[in-house]
Amino acid sequence: MAIAIERSGVTTRRARRYRARRFIGHALVYLGLTVALVFFLGPFFWIVTTSLKGNEDFFAYPPVWIPSPPSLRHYAGLFTRSSGARYFTNSMVISTLSMLSALAVSLPTAYSIARWRFGGGFLSTLLLVLRMLPAIALIIPIYIMYKMLGLTNSYLGLVVIYTVVYIPFAVWLLVGFIRDFPIEIEDAAMIDGCSRLRAVVQVMVPIIAPGMAVVALFAFIATWNEFLFAIVLTGIETKTMMVLVTSFTTGGTDAFYGEASASVVLGVLPAFAIAFILQRYLVKGLALGGTKG
Amino acid sequence: MRAMTLALKRKQWEPLAFASPALLLIALVIVFPLVYAFYLSLQNFDLSVGADYEYVGAKNYVEALFRDQRFLGSVWNTAAIIAPSLAVELLLGLGLALLLGRVIRGRPVITALLAIPAMVSPVMGAMAWRMMYGVKYGAINNLGRQLGLLDVYFDWFGSPVISVIAVVLVEIWLNTPFMMLVLLAGLQSIPQELYESAKVDGATAWQAFWSITLPLLKFTMAVGVMIRLIDLTKLFGLIFILTFGGPGGATETVAFDTYLVGFKDFRMSYASALSFVIVGGVLVLTLVFLWVQRMREARAG
Repeated sequence: MAIAIERSGVTTRRARRYRARRFIGHALVYLGLTVALVFFLGPFFWIVTTSLKGNEDFFAYPPVWIPSPPSLRHYAGLFTRSSGARYFTNSMVISTLSMLSALAVSLPTAYSIARWRFGGGFLSTLLLVLRMLPAIALIIPIYIMYKMLGLTNSYLGLVVIYTVVYIPFAVWLLVGFIRDFPIEIEDAAMIDGCSRLRAVVQVMVPIIAPGMAVVALFAFIATWNEFLFAIVLTGIETKTMMVLVTSFTTGGTDAFYGEASASVVLGVLPAFAIAFILQRYLVKGLALGGTKG
Repeated sequence: MRAMTLALKRKQWEPLAFASPALLLIALVIVFPLVYAFYLSLQNFDLSVGADYEYVGAKNYVEALFRDQRFLGSVWNTAAIIAPSLAVELLLGLGLALLLGRVIRGRPVITALLAIPAMVSPVMGAMAWRMMYGVKYGAINNLGRQLGLLDVYFDWFGSPVISVIAVVLVEIWLNTPFMMLVLLAGLQSIPQELYESAKVDGATAWQAFWSITLPLLKFTMAVGVMIRLIDLTKLFGLIFILTFGGPGGATETVAFDTYLVGFKDFRMSYASALSFVIVGGVLVLTLVFLWVQRMREARAG
């Protein structure tokens, strides 16, 4: 409307008032969002700058908000003194393996549900109930069983439990992606003499690969973030980043700022990357429990 | 009806065979342990006493539900954290979603930036906030002093009430973005024509909000709140890092109390019983959730 009036060259008082109101409206929207951005991103800003401070900057008053020059000594300390490199590697290995095996197990199940309605309403209800199940109910029997089997303090133990806990979520998302894949393409491949397995692996998988990547990234971040199983089932050698930060909580709220903040920066790094990659899928993934394992 | 295609045709065993690896794993790693935990909850297995145990019937459940003041207190604590968190997350999430709905340029970027806390692990979020709450060198006290709002070093975990507020603030920071995303999706599914015809009829923005946005968003809000409610019953990592249940047990949640019983006191049977009490609670909440979903689908269809 405003544009049409401008073009005709007749700027009435009403149009001017309308534009002024719209401008104030927009200004308020962006003001509100700026406040929100400061609240939601401020802690990240503070934790990053804190991890780059030298010791004298921590204790300075008035406080130093932006360290100059920035120092990487806490990252060095984290990697040498607190075995940060090892725990970062542990997190990476465990998350990657869990992600791959969750995908491998969930894909055929999702296929069976999407194409043949396997399990009907019962299976989907079961998956929902499993999604709701609190991890605290599993940790006690799992701990006792793992102790007997010698699976505590091992990659295998954590990968197995993460894979299984992640199946409901992965199946759920994958069913959607497979349903969207036109069955005619699969049909054509099978008429040409492909076995079902080849039709799935060589024809369907490459096409739904973006969807599978979404599931994989959610699985990665969920296992990366998981804490309860990690703290109970890991030992000195297999601690993850989440378990590492607990070692900085002893000794009051003011202790260990340097290495603690450096480990938090490393711990939230994947979340940052994945939040941007998965923008479009965030709602669906988060609603189904994608990130909090 | 689609004609039967080759891809849909199957041998009898194929659907089960495809699903079997997942089902087998679920049976071994979830169903069997749950059954075992239920068996344990009827015994008096206590690792701090020894490896022997015997059947005690429902004794553990009676203790949990009627006598264990600490557990009952933790139920109350959990509720005291959940109620304000949910209320603020819903209102703030709605406000942000409405603001984002009016953004013309840069919406995807702003949304993704605001969404980041929802992807961050509660443990990492809690650790960052724990340092910000720091008495002498924390960002909050430093900023407060610089702005002249605080003139003493304030201990955010000194009193039970303020500790709960501090925990709720971190929880809001972590999960409001989730609510915002859900409500934004709900907002975008409301047909624009409704607003246009309301405008033609002379409705103010406020009237449009009350009679179009809110009614159509009601079920989305219900689903969002249910998901958060169920997840909040599992509140553990945040507490572990931020307060470790303190001060004086004021922020001990049900999950955290169960963890302490199991892995500090090593009372395995009793911890199993507690976890089944929690599962019972979550099951009730899940049924309510399913019911809400069904209502929503009935409306939509």
